Amino acid sequence: MKKIWPVLAFALLGLCWSPAIQATEILVSAAASLTDALTEIGKAYESNNKNRVRFNFGSSSELARQIDEGAPTDIFFSADLEKMGGLEKKGLIDPAGRKNLLSNQLVLVLPNDSKMALRAPKDLLLPEVKRIALAQPKTVPVGIYSKKYLESEGLWEGVAPKIIPVSDVRATLISVESGNVDAGFVYKTDAAISKRVKVAYEVPLDKGPKIIYPVAATKESKNKEAADDFLKFVSSQAGKTVFRNYGFVVLE
Amino acid sequence: MSAEIWHITVFSLAVALASTILILPSAIVVSWLLARKNWPLKMIVETFVMLPLVMPPVATGLILLKIFGRRNPVGRWLYDHGVEVLFNWKGVLLAMAAMSFPLLVRSARTAFAEVDPRLEQIAATLGAGRSRIFFAVTLPLAWRGIVSGCLLAYSRALGEFGATIMVAGNIPGKTQTLSLAIFSFVQLGKDTEAFGLLLITIALAFAAVALSERLARSRAKI
Amino acid sequence: MLLRCRLPLARFALDIDVSFQSRVTAVFGPSGAGKTSLLEAIAGLRKIAQGEIEIGGRVLFSSSRKIDRSPRDRAIGYVPQETALFPHLSVRKNILFGAARKTGGDNAAGFPLDHVVELLEIGHLLDRSVAQISGGESQRVALARALLSHPQLLLLDEPLASLDIGLKERIIPYLRRVRDEFGIPMIYVTHNPVEVLSLADWVVMIREGRLVAQGIPREVLMSGMVVSQLDKDQLENVFDAVLTGSDIGGGRSSVRLESGRELFIPYMPGAVNRPLQVGIRADDILIATQEPEGISAGNVIRGIVRNIERAGGQAILRVEAGETFYVRLTYSAIERLRLAAGGAVFLIIKTRSCIVL
Repeated sequence: MKKIWPVLAFALLGLCWSPAIQATEILVSAAASLTDALTEIGKAYESNNKNRVRFNFGSSSELARQIDEGAPTDIFFSADLEKMGGLEKKGLIDPAGRKNLLSNQLVLVLPNDSKMALRAPKDLLLPEVKRIALAQPKTVPVGIYSKKYLESEGLWEGVAPKIIPVSDVRATLISVESGNVDAGFVYKTDAAISKRVKVAYEVPLDKGPKIIYPVAATKESKNKEAADDFLKFVSSQAGKTVFRNYGFVVLE
Repeated sequence: MSAEIWHITVFSLAVALASTILILPSAIVVSWLLARKNWPLKMIVETFVMLPLVMPPVATGLILLKIFGRRNPVGRWLYDHGVEVLFNWKGVLLAMAAMSFPLLVRSARTAFAEVDPRLEQIAATLGAGRSRIFFAVTLPLAWRGIVSGCLLAYSRALGEFGATIMVAGNIPGKTQTLSLAIFSFVQLGKDTEAFGLLLITIALAFAAVALSERLARSRAKI
Repeated sequence: MLLRCRLPLARFALDIDVSFQSRVTAVFGPSGAGKTSLLEAIAGLRKIAQGEIEIGGRVLFSSSRKIDRSPRDRAIGYVPQETALFPHLSVRKNILFGAARKTGGDNAAGFPLDHVVELLEIGHLLDRSVAQISGGESQRVALARALLSHPQLLLLDEPLASLDIGLKERIIPYLRRVRDEFGIPMIYVTHNPVEVLSLADWVVMIREGRLVAQGIPREVLMSGMVVSQLDKDQLENVFDAVLTGSDIGGGRSSVRLESGRELFIPYMPGAVNRPLQVGIRADDILIATQEPEGISAGNVIRGIVRNIERAGGQAILRVEAGETFYVRLTYSAIERLRLAAGGAVFLIIKTRSCIVL
């Protein structure tokens, strides 16, 4: 048993070292789909600033619940208006700096090797399309959006029996990549990540539901100044360019 | 291995170890009480302790979030005294401890139950008091089961995901553990990175099994 | 020493009321008579419903005076039948486990470690683990552990029951030494009258939890009441047999053992082929190296010595003669006859030494 002590000492050293205290550190809770873009923006921000940025990536509903319970979050970047609205009603969001910064586009993706020619939404009714993956249309934003869109096109009734509900966008993408389903609805930014799916068609921005990514500082932020500063950088030209590179639609 | 992955690995190992050490004393006391004593409400306490085993980890995380969140008395009190538990390494520690506690208690409880009470009785006739009986007879005889329980708890802590993401978030460089990092990489479609971390996890699993085998063998020799 | 206790057991209630003043008291009775329960009650490991236990003027338990000392404070060295050595400790740590005890009153016996180790011949075992010692060695280690715990009374629960015959021979001398060297009173539980006779100076006989008789061993054990309770354990040789003939005038009957060997036994009535058991004590068999002539004994059997176990000046011979016979001899007899394994011998057994069970 004596051999365990060096390991323990090393481990405790690791503990003390990891949460090293920085000057001003802000915590940004952001929707998982923003991970790559925000990480890049964060690095760019830190290179010209002594403030440090930490990100907490997760599903918007989870993040909202954490903030509701008093998580020490400085900025909330949601993939969904409703979650932001809920927190704002509870007085947890600073309405002054709130912005509807980004939008995303729904796209229909097919496996790379798919021979199906799906060019219009009504093609989903074709008998050779047997299974369509969709993130839970009751709870997950992308699922909710997709359902709304199909309803507005008058296709939901016909398509509903073919729907395979999966847990989230990523699971939708994996089912399509593996060829286990014939098609799936995902965000344009997600489709850009995968090399093994192709976009059959994009839902035109004016026809699809409004997919909005709002961002705001929290009321309880202890680093208000730094948070506002980072918010400003995120919506600056430099920030917007990064978002566009990842396929987001920037709302002016 | 990149600095980031190195950091994630060391952080996960360290916090999991700390959580195992943290729960060890109380797990020993609880499992001994469960194995050896009959007391009122025992079944209720037992169920309560085992709850994280049957509940979805997210639910456990939610309960911890409720208890330690700033809007609730416990969390409020801690916050007022300058202790912030959520969304830093303490939150990770808390989630890991809560999730692995029942596993350690289960193993240790079986280990205590297997100690022949006759040996404890004889120790009493030889003049040993309660604490000496416990530390000189019961505990050493149950030690093997407790150690294997620790390895189990440690492995569970390393794999913990659902409760951690609720209580500590998924903050790269701060609360991101191996499991959370794998989740993030999968979410982002970075399969290569995810598999890299998976390899580390598998290597750690092998190391844990090898260690427990070694412990078992060295005990058998005595 | 005063023992008055009542406690309910599974099948009957133990209800004993005895008082005695002796060095070694045997508690004697058949299996399941409540002997072990009685020892546990004395040691404080079993709750007594009602009664008094007083040893050497010290009250250990009294329901009327509301005294119930914990096992820890009773200063009793309890050697259970299964020895209950601590498996995680070395032999040395086992025997020293209770050595630090200071309680137990002024006259608690304290024996030097070296003396106990020497007397029980366990010096060479001290650094071994408990798993590496034999059954007989375990008994001696358990005895040493109890002796070193400053006991006022030793409780021995069937220390020989689990040992085979050769080992029994080796333990008894040690028990005698303990009895003679250390003045501690002992209570010795057994269901074997031979052990009672060779060790105890007082015997308490119990059956189904009740006192049947008590007194000096030779007197109690020789009374008719006891003979009916003799069990096979006192006889080292027990054979299954069938009756082959009876001669009332000659005063003897003959039986056939499983190997086909004929044996004469004292006369007993009964039909031919009636199954029965015959027992012969190891002390009652003579050994000759040549076939004897002009001898009164009815049974002379040729056999081969298989092995010889020596202990405490005595030896047990295992002789193969169709059946296996155990014979107890002094060491000097072995020397004089130059007996060795593989040698041919004649077993001489008096007809009257064959006991029908």
